[in-house]
Amino acid sequence: MRRKLLPFLTIAASLSLAACDVQTEDEANSIPEDSESVETTEKISLELLGSAADETDLNIVRDQLNRNGFDVTLNTQPDYASYRSLRDAGNYDLSIASWTTVTGNPDYAVRSLFTSNGDNSIIDDEEVDALINEAALQTPDEYTETYDELEHELVDQEAYIVPLYNSLKAQAFNHDLLDPDTIRLSKSRAFAWEPVSYNDESMNDSETLMLTQTMSDLTSLDPIKGNDGSINQLNTNMYVRLVNLTDDDEVVSDGSLSYSHAIAEGNSDYYFVLRDDINFAAVEDMEAVDTGDMVSGSDVIYSLNRAKNPDAVPDHRTYSLHEHIDTVSLLSDLSELEETQLTDGSGSVLEALEAELDAPISSVVESADDVNNEAGNYQVIKLTTTEPFPQVLNYLAHQSAGIVSQEQVESINTYDIDNFDITTDVPYGDQRAVTEGDTYDNHLYASGPYIMIQKNDYEATFQKNPAYMNGTENEANIANVTVRFIGDEDSALSALRSEEIDLMYGLGETKYEVVEAEENLTLQSRQSNGVKYLMINVDSDRDVAQSADLRKSILYSINQDEISAAYDGLKLKAYTTVTPLVDTGNELIPDQSKVEEFYQNYEDSAE
Amino acid sequence: MRSYQTNQIIEQLKFNNGLTWAYSILWLILSIELQPFSFSLPLLLIGAVNLGFSFIHQLLLYRVRQSAFRADRKTAVERSLAALMIFGIVTGNLFTFISGIMAFKKSLSTGLIYSIYMVLVDMMIIAVTSLNLFKPFVTNYYLVGLSVLIITLVYHSLILAFGQKIYSWNPGVQRIALGLLLLSGLTGNLLVFLVAASFYADNQPYSKGKRQTSIREKLTRNHAALLGLLFISFLLTLALTSTFTFSYSFAVQNDYANILQNPSIQYPFGTDNFGRDVFTRIVYGSQISLSVGVLATAIPLLIGGALGAISGFYGRQTDNIIMRLLDILYAIPGLLLAITIVAAFGASTTNLIIALSLGYIPSYARTMRANVLQVTNLEYIDAARALGQNNKQIILKHVIPNAMAPMIVRSTLTIGTAVIATSSLSYLGLGVEAHVPEWGNILRIGSQYLETYPYLAIYPGLAIILLVLSFNFLGDGIRDATDPRLN
Repeated sequence: MRRKLLPFLTIAASLSLAACDVQTEDEANSIPEDSESVETTEKISLELLGSAADETDLNIVRDQLNRNGFDVTLNTQPDYASYRSLRDAGNYDLSIASWTTVTGNPDYAVRSLFTSNGDNSIIDDEEVDALINEAALQTPDEYTETYDELEHELVDQEAYIVPLYNSLKAQAFNHDLLDPDTIRLSKSRAFAWEPVSYNDESMNDSETLMLTQTMSDLTSLDPIKGNDGSINQLNTNMYVRLVNLTDDDEVVSDGSLSYSHAIAEGNSDYYFVLRDDINFAAVEDMEAVDTGDMVSGSDVIYSLNRAKNPDAVPDHRTYSLHEHIDTVSLLSDLSELEETQLTDGSGSVLEALEAELDAPISSVVESADDVNNEAGNYQVIKLTTTEPFPQVLNYLAHQSAGIVSQEQVESINTYDIDNFDITTDVPYGDQRAVTEGDTYDNHLYASGPYIMIQKNDYEATFQKNPAYMNGTENEANIANVTVRFIGDEDSALSALRSEEIDLMYGLGETKYEVVEAEENLTLQSRQSNGVKYLMINVDSDRDVAQSADLRKSILYSINQDEISAAYDGLKLKAYTTVTPLVDTGNELIPDQSKVEEFYQNYEDSAE
Repeated sequence: MRSYQTNQIIEQLKFNNGLTWAYSILWLILSIELQPFSFSLPLLLIGAVNLGFSFIHQLLLYRVRQSAFRADRKTAVERSLAALMIFGIVTGNLFTFISGIMAFKKSLSTGLIYSIYMVLVDMMIIAVTSLNLFKPFVTNYYLVGLSVLIITLVYHSLILAFGQKIYSWNPGVQRIALGLLLLSGLTGNLLVFLVAASFYADNQPYSKGKRQTSIREKLTRNHAALLGLLFISFLLTLALTSTFTFSYSFAVQNDYANILQNPSIQYPFGTDNFGRDVFTRIVYGSQISLSVGVLATAIPLLIGGALGAISGFYGRQTDNIIMRLLDILYAIPGLLLAITIVAAFGASTTNLIIALSLGYIPSYARTMRANVLQVTNLEYIDAARALGQNNKQIILKHVIPNAMAPMIVRSTLTIGTAVIATSSLSYLGLGVEAHVPEWGNILRIGSQYLETYPYLAIYPGLAIILLVLSFNFLGDGIRDATDPRLN
């Protein structure tokens, strides 16, 4: 029987021998005396707020603050709405926040977030306000320095925010079906449907292009009444604008209602030559039809005036984007164009506008009936801003500046605005009018390349506008488009792989590998204007609000390289929400000694 | 006519035979490497050795089935085959180990059978704990913890080898031996208590030749239930000892330099998208899964049991009021109720336990009420009443003890459901906080990488499956053992 013990004793002995050699946790964590690293001290407790979708960021921030001695309590809310209500109530020290600059200009990236009267702002700092206002009036060459100063004030001087990362934007599509050269991925603007074509062009009229988006509950198909992911892509493709953004966020007239545009000397007057080959489309018997009404200057004036007027409609969600518009009018006198000089002094406005035209401007007309571009009779829109503000063009390229039909909108919005009741009144663009069922009564007039035929909880169907720039390269290629509403990213990707949808817009970093492994899929990605940052609750009587030293101690705890590593190394560094738009060269470098130094200052001042 | 012991050996060998072959083939399958197609030599070797042991097992099974075989008079060949099979444990084959000892021993008592499983638990714990040696560092108590485990294993092996002769020792030694055995149960090895109880009972006068009627004794005939008990004891021991032998920092601290590493000797189950060791996370996850599972069963067992007993015993209005109130609770789907409670009061372990417990109360009350109604009509209750006992005494002394058996069965089965519910809620982001190592949380991260890094979902999934299966097997075993018709 004794022999039976032998194996056990041997194992025991060998394990003990091996074990004597191992390093224990205390030994591993003790700092050698000669090293230069700083000892981490115990710090105060912080409450970190986020929604379940921010799980990765929450975990990394928690971990990094923990390692620098902070005691972090996580408050993870299951959905965005409950997260937002806690954030608005101020129940947090730190909160994950994100921002995407959809207009592609830096003013939009800071105004609502950091000015003392911004609708998303909790910061009240005169210096920040002054810098933002100063930069708004400057041209791109001048504003880099101002935004650099603003970044320093926001981050390393006062530490109002702690930047985390700048994301990539990605889409994947089936290249066996779709022609890769026709698929655009833009930095700011929503996905453009009209250039998309099948490899086999004969399929363009017969096959339906299948797209997808997450949200099925559409805020409003009236461009000024929504500015969110549910309608951004749809409204962008249903309403034409005065100008467009290129894939790199330059403002151009290509594919817009204007042939060309020019900025006059002084940066307050802007001129647009309108084209005459776009008619409004409407829906009759579930088919898109040409109404015969041209998208004219009066519609432009009407659309922009209601865009800037907060009282134009109930639930106006975008007027703050257009607050710099002063007047919009149709030009009646051609001589004004000849006499006005361009802002860069390179010639007259007329020369600049005519450079893009087939037929030179022989006369400017006011009435839509007199327009005849071939004969040289054009409508020219003049827009003036309240102060010199070159970035106004970016706002005009935003979907909220989409052109609607004055006649149609006025005939639908007959309700009394003071007694508006959403339960009985159906305003223009209300999704009830296009939802299949009893309430269906499609009243949309689309000025863009497509018009929505109808929607239900699963998908929305669109048809091409029969009278949209016919014969030009901007005419829509594919006749029918369907947008599937798929709420979950994984399901949308499965749908793409099973060829249920043709293109998926918005793909998470961790899914790149899956897409790249598929033979029939192409992945496109580029830098986006989306920035994630930590919002510090400075509008409260919490410690983080009182002490800039404490905030800076938090700031230098964050290591952006490590965050990127958790996203397959696909996140870019950011300093503020301006980073993707203006190259200021600022970078957040984590520094443990600064963490301890500022924390010591905070403790000293608290005593 | 075969002896009882011979039958026991045959049954055990029949049960283990399929398992040992399956186990060997599993190793062979694991050794296959795709892209490029090749074989991993160490795994192939383990598989081959296991095949060898399985062959011996098959051979022994063939021999014991011959009518000439007598358990008390084994031939030298049979004994050496059995002895050889014990060494299957070196390659992790616990089935040949069990069969080997069963076939090797001269006589089989209940205590001996439990001892085999007790020693197996120790071995598995030490094997799992030893994997920490490959980590960059170990906890401060690691060496002490491992030594205690090894000493326990040595002591348990001694009990396995000599425990059957306990009646021949002098009373002082007996008391010390049993005392030490109970002390070693502090590691969480539940089987220790069954071994101690068996040896203690065997040692009582007139115990020889007594019919085996207790649940403890009858359970040894159900091999699946014993395997379930083995895994539950293993997990419980792991949950208790891991605090000292596993470093919590590997489970919760992010390591950005080692993100999404494939399984290796340092990270047996790989690392997740934050560079945390999935193996350590699963080990620590067992603490939460077991405690939530057990508590979420114990609370409704007590509350529901009490309510059911009261309403069944007193009947009439009391019964009506309690049961109709519980019916309202019963009408709400359990998981939905839990989701509502957690969503309203926030995600934490305490809230999770309360949320899960509430939903189970009505079903326990119903079971208890039905049992109590049955028991109160029996003669011995009338007798107790005739003897002048009051209601309280009757309920506590006669009704509840006689109505408990189905409740125990039910609760064993519910623990598995509770573990699944915990994981489901965590999977939905409504259980414990996301960074806390909990099986559902680990599985949720894994689900995002199902195609690229499948091991992230497979291992926590397996852990959940095994734990739930174990409780189900054990529950079935206890049900059979308490069923008088199966006597």
